[in-house]
Amino acid sequence: MNTSAYQVRVTGELNPGVSRESAVEAFSKLFKVANEKAENIFSKAPVVVKKGVDEATANKIQRALDNIGVQSAVEMATAEQVPQAQAQNEQKSEQSTNGSTLERAIERASNAPLKQEVHATSRLVEEQPGYQFKIEGQPDYAFLTVNIPAEKTLRVEASAMATMDTNLVMKTKAKGGLGRLLTSESIFINEFTSQNGPGEIGIAPASPGDLAHVYLRDETIFLQNSAFVASDMNVVVETKWQGLTKGFFSGESLFLIRCSGNGDLWFNTYGGMIMLDVDGDYVVDTSNIVAFTEGLDYKITKVGGYKSLFFSGEGFVCRFSGKGKVWIQTRSVQAFASWMYPYRPVKKKG
Amino acid sequence: MDIELIHRPGNTAAKVKLQQGETCTAESGAMIAMSGNMDVTTTTHKKKSGGVLKALKRMVAGESLFLNHFEPKSGDGEVWFGANLAGDMMTYNLDNESLIVQGGSFMACEDSVEIDLGWQGFKSFLSGESVFWVNLKGKGQVLLNSFGAIYPVEVDGEYIVDSGHIVAFNETLDFSITKAGKSWLHSFLGGEGLVCKFQGKGTVWCQSHNPGSFGWTLSPGLKPRKA
Repeated sequence: MNTSAYQVRVTGELNPGVSRESAVEAFSKLFKVANEKAENIFSKAPVVVKKGVDEATANKIQRALDNIGVQSAVEMATAEQVPQAQAQNEQKSEQSTNGSTLERAIERASNAPLKQEVHATSRLVEEQPGYQFKIEGQPDYAFLTVNIPAEKTLRVEASAMATMDTNLVMKTKAKGGLGRLLTSESIFINEFTSQNGPGEIGIAPASPGDLAHVYLRDETIFLQNSAFVASDMNVVVETKWQGLTKGFFSGESLFLIRCSGNGDLWFNTYGGMIMLDVDGDYVVDTSNIVAFTEGLDYKITKVGGYKSLFFSGEGFVCRFSGKGKVWIQTRSVQAFASWMYPYRPVKKKG
Repeated sequence: MDIELIHRPGNTAAKVKLQQGETCTAESGAMIAMSGNMDVTTTTHKKKSGGVLKALKRMVAGESLFLNHFEPKSGDGEVWFGANLAGDMMTYNLDNESLIVQGGSFMACEDSVEIDLGWQGFKSFLSGESVFWVNLKGKGQVLLNSFGAIYPVEVDGEYIVDSGHIVAFNETLDFSITKAGKSWLHSFLGGEGLVCKFQGKGTVWCQSHNPGSFGWTLSPGLKPRKA
């Protein structure tokens, strides 16, 4: 039995002697929402105001609502309404249609999931098995909003949190140890846990660009440098030594971030994002690599002869071989930084 | 050669499809990805022509000294190009004509296009912006990039454009450097300095933003470098 299968529904009826205005006001205070939002709930009633909670919590909420004169009902949620991302429930939730709207489905369709075999033909109604999320402002200024179900935790890149509900509790973890420091990624990862009900977090990557989401199913994705944005707790995030030659000559970090396991993973780019299906050989400039799937072999090479190595302006490139996916970005942070160099003020002597 | 622009206008990248036997010449450093069968040669000039002198001239133009030539070895291939700065790209089909392109805006062109440095004389030097221009001649497709959006201005008669905002213009246009205001003092204080005055009939492609202005805006926030 799932412990969080209860939900609270506001019936729209008020206790005798309670005016609508005062109820709306009390409601907005209780749930810390804007007056307009509370007003909206009452005009649309009956509305589920809390879901995915256990019976005790649901009863508590009902009592609290009763105190402010709002009538409500505690009910068992049906399978469709069970919050997802529960490992043991994965199969079921995969087919669920939890509040699936066309809008979200289209959004997902444009987000290029890693594997499409499950509902390849009916992707418009396929529900994302992990956390509910939306990406706005694509492709130039992508911004991620994730709904974290009650008592669940999301791992987010340090300082990437832009907005969040007040019931989210942040813990900072020095994850990945020294390796993270060497990837030039911040060594700290923040963990946001939503307490007493689901919470919403807005995540803004540091560089303007696009965002991609993949749901890992016992798979591994390698991320370059600063591409990590957020992940499910079941995704193992670790740094990987690329080997001296691979890392050293790439001019990038010596490490890649290795994400493996089961769950959501979001990563970002600087500039537009292009997904390439590699079957055979593909060459990518090292500073334009965002991510690639495991199974692809890669080595750092020069583009042409030795003349090209020094004069082509490309320096070293990464040659992928095998079968898999590579995500690249249309801009490069390094290239932009070196463009900026002449504009740096000159240090005065003495 | 088939050019497709994606993620326009902010984060534009160009996907160039090449058939076997076709060659594409690009500014060095512009390639962001390519298929594995692509052969890259780096030269100081257009393949099988030109020389060091031309290359030196190009370096002074703010273009890099070297050009990369992409040629698929077996079967078809593709190359992706991207610029350093955010902005749009455009393609232009040269039909036995000349296009003058501002130093940093040249990205790539077909093998059949001649790349030369269009020395515009001493007057260019005074404009203070990109001093040199790249002259693209012949027949074939050309790929240009800009900082910000690109908008064409049809000129019939006279038109004035700030020199930092020019992407390219038809060679049919004659241009001269002039002051923006009535007096030299006003032009200088107004921050416009010198502008380009076009005369004749043709098209000028302008970019919505001036890379130099952007650079100097960032300047106070950047760490000082050693002289």
